[in-house]
Formats: sequence, structure tokens, C-alpha cells
Amino acid sequence: MVPIKQVILCGFGGQGIVLAGTILSQAAFNDGKWVSSTDSYGAAARGGACRAEVVISERPIIFPYVIAADTLIAMYQTAYDKYIGCVKPGEGVVIYDERFVPEEMKGLKYVGIPASRTALEELNNGMAANVIILSAAVEMTDVVSKKELKSAIEEIIPERLRELNLKAMNIGFRLGRTKSNHIHQR
Amino acid sequence: MVRYYLSGNEAIVEGAIRAGCRYYAGYPITPSTEIMERISIRFNEIGGVFMQMEDEIAAICSVIGASWAGAKAMTATSGPGFSLMQEGIGYAAMTETPIVVVDVQRAGPSTGQATRVASGDIMQAKWGSSGDYQVIAVSPWSVQEAYEQTISAFNLAEKYRVPVLLLTEEAIGHLRERIDVVKDIEIFNRRKKPGAAPFGTEERDGVPPMPTFGEGEKALVTGSTHDSYGFRRTDDPLVQDRLVSRLNEKIINNREEIIDYEDYYLEDATVVVISYGFTARSSLFAVEALRAEGRKIGMLRLKTLWPFPDSLKRNIGARANVLFVPEMNKGQVAGEVRKYVSCQVVTFTQTNGEVIYPDAIIEQLRRYL
Repeated sequence: MVPIKQVILCGFGGQGIVLAGTILSQAAFNDGKWVSSTDSYGAAARGGACRAEVVISERPIIFPYVIAADTLIAMYQTAYDKYIGCVKPGEGVVIYDERFVPEEMKGLKYVGIPASRTALEELNNGMAANVIILSAAVEMTDVVSKKELKSAIEEIIPERLRELNLKAMNIGFRLGRTKSNHIHQR
Repeated sequence: MVRYYLSGNEAIVEGAIRAGCRYYAGYPITPSTEIMERISIRFNEIGGVFMQMEDEIAAICSVIGASWAGAKAMTATSGPGFSLMQEGIGYAAMTETPIVVVDVQRAGPSTGQATRVASGDIMQAKWGSSGDYQVIAVSPWSVQEAYEQTISAFNLAEKYRVPVLLLTEEAIGHLRERIDVVKDIEIFNRRKKPGAAPFGTEERDGVPPMPTFGEGEKALVTGSTHDSYGFRRTDDPLVQDRLVSRLNEKIINNREEIIDYEDYYLEDATVVVISYGFTARSSLFAVEALRAEGRKIGMLRLKTLWPFPDSLKRNIGARANVLFVPEMNKGQVAGEVRKYVSCQVVTFTQTNGEVIYPDAIIEQLRRYL
């Protein structure tokens, strides 16, 4: 079977979910992979449960949406509730922002990342939580290379916010390293 | 070869520019708006003309005018705007004006669900305007093909002097994918022949050369019945019959050249999925999964929807006894398929504003395998 990696990012509209998905898919493209991505559109992206999905493959992708996610990155309770059913049973990993406590599903692996809290404490900017949790996920899952994640952030983020987001990325890498021992299986 | 990461809507813009499009008039509508947005920026860079019109009727009329002034011209819209453009599409067909109209289909009827997907405009594309005319309509299944088919839409429009409709869907317009762009792409420009009759020809393909306003030729253009020099002949049965016949025959007689499709595993297939647009992605996924189980299933993917591939019977293989047509409408293409085959045609329709996932197709197909 061709290795295909399927990722869903979800949260509350305004948390930067769509942006994080764009950064992830751009990084996969820069890695030379085949990639398809879609995200919430219209009102959903501006409030309510919001999602971005990214499919990354070594070969051309036939069906471009996520069928069963290997990784779910969840930043908000209601979005988690909505998309937890899309995670691959028995093997999927849920990476969640510790601002909420998910009701854990049997058979899945969980790891909490203090993304929102660290964004406020270390960067004084809660908006950087999306890049923190994404970078932590990249550190833990190797879904894209760290080098191309950095280049994707540099390409996509406007100059005035670039430094902030690169700092957030490095915080995410650090949290990912320390937290990778804390992945627990339900 | 250059590699890009684009949405379907963005790829349409790049395809149009590659094909030589330098005029765009439109009225924004979800989920097509990114086309208008990007082309307004790109034309600013490369020197095209962009017009935001007061509505879709004005948009398509403006595009028709630009084409007569010599430009390769395009507009883009979605279902409700496409309805308004039907008047102009009929006028472009009657006046043999090369234009490209993009319809990023959303859930209808009427304003329906602006951000949701459907393929509900297949019949509207063919039969939306008055009288007997032909259009060419193509439907991409990927961002790569959105790019390529936009180029071929311009080529076909120029070659056959006909409105060409790119029937894409919200799911392709907003999908982002990697695309590979090759350097050498064939671009066709309209034939000109100063002094020749612009609406009649002895040429075998039935497509007359086209004059351009401002290049010194006298050109009369009217949506009323006209002779080969454009003079109105609104009470002459012979002229009417000759004109309408040629408008149809220049497409129908060249359909083998116009129609494009792809087939998969047809050699021994007893069940054949006929699919197009985004749904063909789900269909192929389903077909591959069932093939892996050893099922004798194949697929025909329609890249051209109009003129309809009436040689279907030849294309589906000798063993096919069930044709399965999944679509995001109430069976518009399935109905057309039924006209040309005698075997069982099964429709699978979904009109809830969501794409059809492969597992739904697999579940249905198991009943026939």
C-alpha cells in the first residue's frame, strides 16, 4: 500500500486553523510530495467548528479528502467532538490543545500540548497557538520535514508576523520533543 | 516543467492566461469568486483588461464584445449567475463567438447553498438558451485538469467559434493540489481570412474564419437569423435552416475530435462506472478498491460532457451489462447515458451539498458485483 498521510486540523473559526492547514500542505508540497487540501469556507471559517484537511502522499492522490485521519490536531472542544469520528480507529493520534480536556475514545493515542497557554506566556500572543500546536505535531509525527515547515511559514506569513511565527514554531518543536513521551493509548 | 501548489479556481486563471486570455468581465459569486480575484491581480501584472460588471448578463455580453474586438475572453460564475448568462450563451452560439464561461457549480436550484457543492448545471449548460444550438462543455476532476481544460476550452472556442463551458464544481474550485505545468502547450488562435464570409463557409469543418472589429473589415453581427455575410434574413426559411444546421453540424460532425475521456479496467468489466468531475475521484477510488478484491469492474471518465459521447456503447467494453452513474444531481448524465445504451443503467444521486465519498459508491456497487 502506498503510504498516505491524512491529517485533520480543527478548532474554532478564528484560531488560525485554515492558515495552519495551508502551512502544513505547503510544507508537504515543498517536501516534493503529492498533496491535496481543503478547508472550511465561508461562515464556518469565521466562527463555529472549523477544519482543514490535508492528504499527503508519495504518489498521485486519487480521492483528495481525508477518509480516515492518521492525525487529528484539535484546538477546541466542539470541533474535536465534530471530527473525532474521522480518526482512523485503532491507530490514529489526537494532538490537542490543553485548553480543553477531550473525552478520550478507546483505541486512539492522545497527547496534550499547552499551545494556547504557552503562546500567551512566552509570546504574549494567543494567536500563535496554531503554529505552536502544528509544529509540535510535526515534531512528533514527521508528517512533513521541519526544514520545509519553516520555509512554508516564511513563504506564507507576512513579514511583520514572520518572526513571531518562527518563534512559535521553535516553541512547538520543543513542546513536541518533551511531550512525545507523554503520548498515551486509550 | 514547473510545479505549483494551487486551488482549482487559481489554476483556471493560470490556464486562461497561458491560453492567451487577456479580457475578463464578471460579477462575483461564491464559489467562483477567487477566479475573479486572482485574474484582476494577474491582469494587472501582465497587461490584461479586467471589468467588474453590474451583473452576469452584462458580464457575458461584455465578453462577447471583447471577443469580436479580437481578445480571448472569459467570464466565471456559479449556478444562479450561469442562469442569467444563458441569454448571452445563446447569442454567442448564434453569432459564433469564441468565449469561455466557467461555472463553478454549487448546490441549487436558485441561490441554493452558496458554499456547498453540486453538479446540477449539466443540463442547463446544454439546454439553457433558446433554439437548437450546440456548445462544448468540459468537466475537470483535479486542479491539474482545471488548468489543462481551461487551455483546451480556449483552443476549442477559437477553433470551432463556439462558447465553451468549463463545468467545474465547488469541490474542485476550492481544492488545493500540486500541479505540473509543461513548457510546450499547443495554443490555437482563431482563423482569419480578410474578405471571407464570416458566417458561412465551404470548409469541411463548417467553421468560417472570423473578422475582428477595427481591422478594416465590414462586420455585421446579429443574434437574428443572418446570411453568410451577417445580413438579417428573418423571414427566409432556407437561410434559417442552413444556419441552424451548420451551427449544430460544425460541432456534431467534429465530435470525435472534440470528445475526450479516460477509461480504466474495461477489458473484462461487467460493471462499468461512468463518472465525471470531482465524483470521478471517488469513483476511481471505489473501482480500485473493488478491483483489489478481484471484482470485474471498470470505469469510463467523461472529460467532455457536451457534445455527449454518444459512441458510449463502443467505449464501455463488450461485457458491460450494468452501467453505474454516480452524480451530485438527480441523474442528469445517467439520463443521457440511457439514450445510447440498452443495458441496465443505475443512477446513484446525492443532492445534499456534500461530495460523494468512495465508501457510499462501494456499498452501492456491491449490489451488482
